[in-house]
Order: sequence, then C-alpha cells, then structure tokens
Amino acid sequence: MHIPDGILPASIIVAGYATTGGVTWYSLRQIKRDKNPQENIPKASLLTAAFFVASWIHIPVPPVSVHLILNGLLGTILGYYALPAILIGLFFQAVMFQHGGLSTLGVNATMFGIPAIVAYHLFQLRHKVGKNNRVWTGVFAFLAGAGGLGVSVVIFFFLIVTNIPANIDAAVERNVIYGLVLAHIPLMFIEGAFTAAVALFLMRVKPELLKP
Amino acid sequence: MNSQWKIIFPFVVISVFGASTRAIAHGVRMQARETQAIEVNAEYDNGDPMVNAQVTVYAPNDPATPWLEGTTDNNGNFVFTPDASQSGNWSVQVRQAGHGSIVNVPIEGNQAQAGGDSATPESSTSRVMNTGAANFTPLQIILMGAAGVWGFIGTALFFMRGNKTNSELRRSESQR
Repeated sequence: MHIPDGILPASIIVAGYATTGGVTWYSLRQIKRDKNPQENIPKASLLTAAFFVASWIHIPVPPVSVHLILNGLLGTILGYYALPAILIGLFFQAVMFQHGGLSTLGVNATMFGIPAIVAYHLFQLRHKVGKNNRVWTGVFAFLAGAGGLGVSVVIFFFLIVTNIPANIDAAVERNVIYGLVLAHIPLMFIEGAFTAAVALFLMRVKPELLKP
Repeated sequence: MNSQWKIIFPFVVISVFGASTRAIAHGVRMQARETQAIEVNAEYDNGDPMVNAQVTVYAPNDPATPWLEGTTDNNGNFVFTPDASQSGNWSVQVRQAGHGSIVNVPIEGNQAQAGGDSATPESSTSRVMNTGAANFTPLQIILMGAAGVWGFIGTALFFMRGNKTNSELRRSESQR
C-alpha cells in the first residue's frame, strides 16, 4: 500500500511532507514531556524493526496479495513514539528496497503515522470504560490495530482515487483500486487480532510496557 | 432461355466473377522488416506479475503527452516498437491501483544504449533496464534486510543498557 514515486502530483507530495513535518514536531513535543524518553526507545526500536520487515510478509487475498503494515500495532504499543518509528521504517524501506519512495515519504508517513496516533487514542479509550481488565484490553487493542490500518486504507483510497491521471482509463483504475481496498478488510482483522494478542501478552508478562 | 436473358446472362457472369476476383484474391504480399522492439515486464515486489496494468509510453521529444497507451498481458509484459527517428529517453510508465514505476529506455539512432536507473548488458543487441529492487539478488535483499533489522535491535540494546546503568546508579545513590 506504500505509494511509490511518480504516482502523485507535486502539490500532494509537498502537502505530505508538510503534514508529516507538523505531526512529527507535535509527536516529538509529546515525547519530550515524558519523564525519561530514553526508557521507551528500546521498545520503539524493536517495533520499528517489526514494521520494517512487515512489508515482506505477503498475505494472498485473491485475486491480489496484500502485505502486513502493522501501523495500528505500533500506535497501540508506542503511542506518539510510533510516528518517528514509522518515519524511520519507511525511510529504510524506500532506500533499501524501493518500497514506497523518497518523494512520497511524507505522504506515506502521513498515511501510516496519523492512523497510528488514532490507534493509540483508540486503545487509551479502554481507561474511559473504567475496566482495565483483559477482555477490554483485548477488545480495544483489536479495535486499535484494525482501526489504525482502516484509517490508512481510507487515506490511501482518497489520495489515489482523486489523483488518477487524465491519460489512463479512470474506470479500470478505479475498479482495481476498489479491489485493493476491499482486499485490506481481511488484513484489518488479521492485524487487529495480532495487536490484541501482543497487547494481552504484554499485559501478562510486562504490563508496564502498555503504559506509554 | 429467351433473347432477353441471352443478352443479360453474359453480363451477370462477368459481373459476378469480376467482383469476386478482388474479394477472394489469392495473391498475398508480405514484407518482413527488422525493427527494434522494447519489451517491458512489470511485476510486484513479491514476484506477482502486474496483470492488465495500464502502460503509458512517452516519446523523448514530448515527455508530457502519451505517445502510446496500452495494457500489460497476463504475464505483466508489454511490447512496443519505438519510432527509431526519435533518439533519447523513451519513458514507459506502468500503473495499477496506485502502484507502479517508470523505466527510461535510451534509444540512440537504431541502437539501444545502456542507461536508465541501471543497465545490465545481456548481449550486444539486448540490454536490460531495471527499476526497483530488481537490481538486487534475493541474497543481497536478505542481507540488507538483516543489516537493517540488526541496526534496530542494536539501537534497542544500546538504550536498554543505558537504562540499566541509570537504574543501577540510582539504586547505588539511594543505598548511600
């Protein structure tokens, strides 16, 4: 789902970098408010590695195949640390494997980063329910994992559908985009379940990791 | 046969056979000419071919207007013959569902020259231009990925060590 170079017009590319710049600044400001930001760096670094390799894991959803994104998981576990983690992960994916692109780094970071922060806030809603037990943690982790990816897919859909170049067959392109978007619905369930499993595991073995 | 038909019949025969001479002509003229074609193969990075992806070809003298449009076949292939009179970079863009890439094929006169993002000469007449991770072998990709992952793990270990040292310092200070 990473948008490569040469697909989007220059105005969207610039807007993507501007949005990423703003959100990264806000995230770093939130991170700075932590008592000891260094404490969370090992966790952020390990999940950046997971995000970096996740795009290699392809899941066939006939007739297409999709790959793991894990931005919902990063948001759920890392909170605001997810944004720099995703930005770094995307940079390495683009430079090493040409997955995504350097010109679209801003757009991709916005597309995956903002939904990660949405996922974090979704996961924090479990405290509002007032029952910080395993069931609610699992339910909200699932919603965060699936929701984070879902918001990314919606952003991807609008970016691509509204920027189909005039010289190609728009109807054909739109149909393929619909197919790709629909193929991400099963992936949302997979990533939601994976996020819930990770959150419940951490709750059992090291619950302090779930308190960013 | 009355006299009227005796006059008309030869005309009917002549007109029928005369007309059919053109319609079922057995003479075929063929011409074979050697020309330079460019074959583009597009696949996703997991190896799946980009089936029915939309292809746009831009000529060197007008990179803004599509020179040719088409779609890839079931194997992700698309073949076209560039206008040999236009030398320079022929750009071929393949796009499907927001994914795609552009490859530049330099044509100089009647001969393809090495160039583009990278070029691997296969023989004197056929050259291959790749984009994306196709430049690397699977082993190289795995090594690069492993190096990247180790970088992240190393960062994590480094900061974990820092935390431990800090907490040990704090503990020793509190013991005093």
